[in-house]
Amino acid sequence: MDSARRLGPAQIGVLAQLGVSTVLLGGIYALIAVGLTLIFGIMRVVNFAHGEFLMLGMYLAFWAFSAYAVDPYVVLFVSIPIFFGVGLVTYALVMRGVIHASHNVQIFTTVGLSTALQNVALVLWTGDFRIVRPWHSSVVIRFADTAFNLSQVVAFLIAVALTVALFAFMKWTHTGRVMRATAQDGDAATLMGIDTDRVYRLTFAIGIAAVGAAGVLVAPLYAVYPTAGLQFVLLAYVVVVLGGLGDMVGAMLGSLIVAAVEVIGSYLFGVAWKEVLYFVLFIAVLAFRPAGLFGQRGAETLGA
Amino acid sequence: MAAALRGRAGALAFFAVAAAVPLAVRDQFFLDTLILILLWGALSAAWNVAGGYAGQVSLGHSAFFGIGAYSAALLSARYGQSPWIGMLIGMVLSVGAGLIIGYLSNRLRGPYFALSTIAFSQVLLIVASRWRGFTAGSEGIPVPFRPGFATLGLGHVAWAYLALALAALFYGIQVYLERSRVGYQLAGVREDEDAAEALGIPSRRLKVIAVTASAALTSVCGTLWAQYVGFVDPFYVFSVDLSIRFALNAIIGGLGTALGPWLGSILITALETYLRATFSGMKTGFAGIYLVIYGVALILVVRFVPEGLAGVAARLRARWTRAHA
Repeated sequence: MDSARRLGPAQIGVLAQLGVSTVLLGGIYALIAVGLTLIFGIMRVVNFAHGEFLMLGMYLAFWAFSAYAVDPYVVLFVSIPIFFGVGLVTYALVMRGVIHASHNVQIFTTVGLSTALQNVALVLWTGDFRIVRPWHSSVVIRFADTAFNLSQVVAFLIAVALTVALFAFMKWTHTGRVMRATAQDGDAATLMGIDTDRVYRLTFAIGIAAVGAAGVLVAPLYAVYPTAGLQFVLLAYVVVVLGGLGDMVGAMLGSLIVAAVEVIGSYLFGVAWKEVLYFVLFIAVLAFRPAGLFGQRGAETLGA
Repeated sequence: MAAALRGRAGALAFFAVAAAVPLAVRDQFFLDTLILILLWGALSAAWNVAGGYAGQVSLGHSAFFGIGAYSAALLSARYGQSPWIGMLIGMVLSVGAGLIIGYLSNRLRGPYFALSTIAFSQVLLIVASRWRGFTAGSEGIPVPFRPGFATLGLGHVAWAYLALALAALFYGIQVYLERSRVGYQLAGVREDEDAAEALGIPSRRLKVIAVTASAALTSVCGTLWAQYVGFVDPFYVFSVDLSIRFALNAIIGGLGTALGPWLGSILITALETYLRATFSGMKTGFAGIYLVIYGVALILVVRFVPEGLAGVAARLRARWTRAHA
């Protein structure tokens, strides 16, 4: 980010700073993207409203901080159950009816949800840019030749902890296995007595809880406004497509790649042009390896 | 001719009313509403060529709209050229961009294609808003008003007829897509690409053609819109919201139907105008309220009335004919 440029001439220091910045940013992007890829992998739905739940998480952190002076890291504990509930309700009201519909119906359902949520936020909280500034956002940590903002480091640590917890859940719990089985073959899972509707409901709620938590975590780092979700979700699409839609490990690697492009790109070309870099990367990947850098070829044309 | 007109009484009535309104009404507010209905409908018709007829759902069509708007605005503001030349240049550029997007559409289906189109429009948004030396960056460009047809400095009545001519042309293009061999082939590709391919339909080429044609038509509307409104703002002309709006009119009106885009446009434009009048006191909240309604309407329509207004009208007509047969 910006801090990279302010460092002295020592090239090693710059590289170290860029490297650590990449990892810190990548960890946060991973938490945003992992919910998106989980929902796609199991439900085969691209949630175009994913960014709006991130935005709602940021607003939750903002209001808790400005109205009750509650630190975002405390809000996090409340946010996870709240957004899990929001996910359940959204699934019941909106997603459930279109889970077996065509791609186009699903696209427009989540696009409609995105438009509605963005503008509910606009009506309720206006379009002003809001900023959350807890004490830790102005603390700088220096380590060797590098310097970091404490909020960024803590956000990274929590994001990694949550992502690892989600991985462990998917890998080792019975419910996680059931979810993976549904992802592999929904019909076969139904035949084995798995209630796929329950799996979808749970998947959607977990995905939304993850992105809501990510919203709370990034609130001290970025301004909050009704369309704040858009920039993050565009980035999350890039991450998820790079890693292969539905591939959770791919999403982590994709996060690091996108973070590296962003950090190194803004160092070399300036912050203004970094987004062009990752969108060009995105279009190139879609054109040449649409199943993702690590994905199976041909996965992108599957109808189901 | 008679066969071509059968079942098109609604469209004839719509265009006849649109043609009569400027003769009877001189009120600028009503004329403005009419022009916007026709232009928004034409934009959705352009989107419909790819999204409705070919099944290539784009969420980045604002890219082509912006190309058309910028080409003419830059040319007339910087070089004093006629916007008609700008329109042509915009079309050429959009055809180029459409070929790229069309190529992507060959490999990508469903959500992947929609994602790639969003990314494309975002790249153009960033370029237009950051390349200060050429596009004036995020400040946008005011389009100079020079009276005359060659410079598109027209009064409201002339604009209404120009928009009507555009709408009629785009309607005709869609009717052609419904009745021609290419149209049937596109429908085949849309419904089941593998089956169409097996029947020897060149599905890839058709999709590229549909997307490219749709891009060129969208660009023409972009040029006209910029000349009518008189200002080009990168964050508006390249926005995802705008792309969604093109799709919204077409879906609410009836995806892949010729009159649908204007039916949707009448409803959405009227709703917007009504809400603007009702909530004009609430400055920031206003935009939000009608967009919340858009969003909810989109969710409800694709779920419960996927055939749109045109489909509902067809069903009602069928029921009426049965009852009176």
